[in-house]
Amino acid sequence: MKYFDRISRPSWLVTCVLIFLFSIIILNGMINDWGRASQGIGNLITFFNESLWPPDWSVLEPQAYPVCTVYPSFMDFTCSTAWIGMLETIKIAFVSTVFGTILSIPLSLLAARNLNPSWVSYSSRFFLAAFRSLPSIIWAIFFVILVGFGPLAGVLAMTVYTVGYLGKLQYEAIEGMTKVPLDASEAMGLSKFETAIKVVIPESANDLISQAIFMFEYNFRHGTVIGIVGAGGIGYYINLYLKFLQYDKVIAYLIIIFVVVLFIDFISIKARSYFTEEIDLPRSTWKSIFFPPGLNKR
Amino acid sequence: MTDIPWSTEPIIRLNDVTIGYKEKEPLVEIPNLEIFPGEIVAIAGPSGVGKSTLLKTIAGLIRPISGSVEVCGKSFPNRPNRGELGYVPQSLGLVRHASVLHNVMLGADSGHNNPIPFIGFCFPSSLAKKKAIQAINSMGLEEKINEPIRRLSGGQQRRVATARTLAQCPDLIMADEFLSELDEKTIDMVLGEVTKYVRSSNAALLVVEHDITRAKMMADRLLVIDDGRINPFITEPTAMEVKI
Repeated sequence: MKYFDRISRPSWLVTCVLIFLFSIIILNGMINDWGRASQGIGNLITFFNESLWPPDWSVLEPQAYPVCTVYPSFMDFTCSTAWIGMLETIKIAFVSTVFGTILSIPLSLLAARNLNPSWVSYSSRFFLAAFRSLPSIIWAIFFVILVGFGPLAGVLAMTVYTVGYLGKLQYEAIEGMTKVPLDASEAMGLSKFETAIKVVIPESANDLISQAIFMFEYNFRHGTVIGIVGAGGIGYYINLYLKFLQYDKVIAYLIIIFVVVLFIDFISIKARSYFTEEIDLPRSTWKSIFFPPGLNKR
Repeated sequence: MTDIPWSTEPIIRLNDVTIGYKEKEPLVEIPNLEIFPGEIVAIAGPSGVGKSTLLKTIAGLIRPISGSVEVCGKSFPNRPNRGELGYVPQSLGLVRHASVLHNVMLGADSGHNNPIPFIGFCFPSSLAKKKAIQAINSMGLEEKINEPIRRLSGGQQRRVATARTLAQCPDLIMADEFLSELDEKTIDMVLGEVTKYVRSSNAALLVVEHDITRAKMMADRLLVIDDGRINPFITEPTAMEVKI
């Protein structure tokens, strides 16, 4: 019997209340002046009215230099900083997801405890944990120092982080696979390498693809931030306008990022629905993704 | 029962073997068991007595608690040579997202000695592919060759697992309830193909079968595991024989 099964329902409730009270005590210990928290709402309203709103949509207009030569003229938004920055962020996310996935698969195969002895799997896990322990923005600072400003630093930073993060997801998926195909391969005399290539990867392919798509979505969201430290992408422009206190332009960028993130999330849901484990599950339709369930009823 | 020209060297030899998952809880004690090439041996017994565990121990997947296990001339922990041992587990162990051909090719590849192992495995030889297709056809699955396993019925999946082992051309086939979920006509076909292979290539077949009637029908020798011991099956007298 599992430990949690033995706890009665009233005990659960008491435990939850105690945990909540404990967290309040910790918070109270950290905050000296609660009055500052109450001033926050007022500050936000002032900041919003005087600096943020309305957004300055000039970020969607072509830059003064270099001169925009795009034809027809309604496409000239492609010369805007918002478009250029966003496209660069998407490119960084895509390339780093591809490189990260390629590099993480061998490491995750080594890290899986059902395929390797403990010393191999724990050594590989050590590297994966090291890559994952720093957030992508810290890796971006590190690579900006190494290779200078620009998207290359962004690609390297996101790739390293992807290896650590995706590697963990992958080895957990591999460890979750049933033992019987591995037993059958071992009995047949297939080598570890052959088993990994011909049994483990095909068997967990759906999970691996779904995780890679999720990682692209994740990298895109984080790619908007790494530009702040000079690693390319739309974050560069956000940082620029923050320095000049042009918050109305910053909010315009943030709204654009929000819309694109939402769009990529929706595409990711649709793409991942092709790789769900059970074929009996109804596949998401575009309508079901973009509209709430109530609007989907015929 | 048929007369088999026994080879002198057994393909499986177990001496004073105790099997089980925990040292303090042994499942079966086997003083002596020898299985020869060309022989079909069935193991029967109630659920949970250790039939599948015995197969796993012979396959080298579980360490015996004590005693010596020798398979294809290799004593545990040494393993039989690549492809010498074909194993159809009870849960089949197929790659569910891959096609029938991919799964059967695993067997064909393991049974085919490629001169360059890595390159040979990535680009399997036409001989291995021919063997795989032949095995698939023999199991009546030619129309399902490119279907992913997860779209097949339970019975079809069992036939794929059997085809994978036949494509391997092993010296020893071990099959754990490989005829369950099959209808009578398909059982005849599958059993016919496996028996034909065993007889023609002088291989051995060790099969776990809970249906005693079927086990008696297919096997040259029937062993029963009961109460932690493995014994030859002794036919109980029928009502007619008792009257006489």
